[in-house]
Amino acid sequence: MVTTGLSVVEAARETLAARERGATVVVALLLEGPCAGARRLRIRERSDDRGPRDRSLGELGHPELEEVVDGILDGALDGEPLSARSSEAGTRSVLLPGATNEIPVYLERTRPPSGLLIVGAGHIAEPLHLQGALLGFRVTVADDRPDFVDPGRFPRAQRVVRIDFSDPFHAIEHPDRSHVILVTRGHRYDYECLRRLVVEDPLPEYIGMIGSRRRVRATFHQLLEEGVPRAALERIRAPVGLDLGAETPGEIAVAVAAEWVAITRGGSGRPMVEVERVAERFFPNEADDDRE
Amino acid sequence: MTESDEHLRVLRTLVEGAELGEPMVVATIVRTRGSTPRKEGARMIVGADGRVRAGTVGGGCGEGEVIEAAAATLRDGQSRTVRVDLTEDLLTLSPAVCGGIMEIRVEPA
Repeated sequence: MVTTGLSVVEAARETLAARERGATVVVALLLEGPCAGARRLRIRERSDDRGPRDRSLGELGHPELEEVVDGILDGALDGEPLSARSSEAGTRSVLLPGATNEIPVYLERTRPPSGLLIVGAGHIAEPLHLQGALLGFRVTVADDRPDFVDPGRFPRAQRVVRIDFSDPFHAIEHPDRSHVILVTRGHRYDYECLRRLVVEDPLPEYIGMIGSRRRVRATFHQLLEEGVPRAALERIRAPVGLDLGAETPGEIAVAVAAEWVAITRGGSGRPMVEVERVAERFFPNEADDDRE
Repeated sequence: MTESDEHLRVLRTLVEGAELGEPMVVATIVRTRGSTPRKEGARMIVGADGRVRAGTVGGGCGEGEVIEAAAATLRDGQSRTVRVDLTEDLLTLSPAVCGGIMEIRVEPA
């Protein structure tokens, strides 16, 4: 019987509440050993000037084991992949001092939603913000044109905000722009955003810009002219999206979102049928014999 | 960059069900080896009627065994670990369909 730690429901409740306020949570479930079935949580609040503050929930009633478990929970809070196949969940083994049997501990991380800022509230932004919401982003849409900054057009956005391109990110907090996609109406607006984004500290995890080769080239040219280092251009994904032959705004949004998934999950972006070649590998073609 | 809506939906189902006082069972994939339809962290909630309330641990591949274990946990209130070996699944056409092993922790909620 489980007599220590948090119950699965308590752990779920704490996890949801912590995520809601922007914290990262790791849950440890002890699979064997003296506290088998017990859950312990470690929560890292959204960092501020005072640095990360971590705390644990769920007394195991076994101080030595608690210390060992907190050790692996700290590693997980730092973001290390938790198993070979899934970055956010997996089982590790811990060894108590002086013990011979390892104790398997299942770990599961829940991160706060990433912020996606879509700059430019034109026709592509509408389907793009839906794709962003579908993938779990907390979406902000920004533009300088009052008519376009209409929350009614962006029902799944957390915020639709009017900005001034002379200082575009002034009113948008950093966590809300950890991912930025530029779909503005002209390359001078892209430029105004990019020259700030590439020198931000911390850098956004993702900077993408839509556009033709010509437009991307013109923007890059201007950035270099203004003294932005060549290496900074490597941080910008432009033109964005997978090569799907997309034409309509909806299709373009799918191509962009498909690339987001491929980046996150490490996918190749190639058709599965070519990757797996099931018919060719497992059912060799005997049609020639049959025809005789 | 993305995070799983399914993961959150499952956690919410668990919290809401507990508020209603409904007995439930949580099945979580804690370890995998080889090719399995779902990875570590995939989770399923089974209600008191034995039906899946949220999530999945792999659809056709081994889910039946998990639902059976969930029924047993609903009866006796005990946690158990189910090892689903998909490498010996004779019903599938090709060994490449689901060829791995997964360990699933089944717990009462």
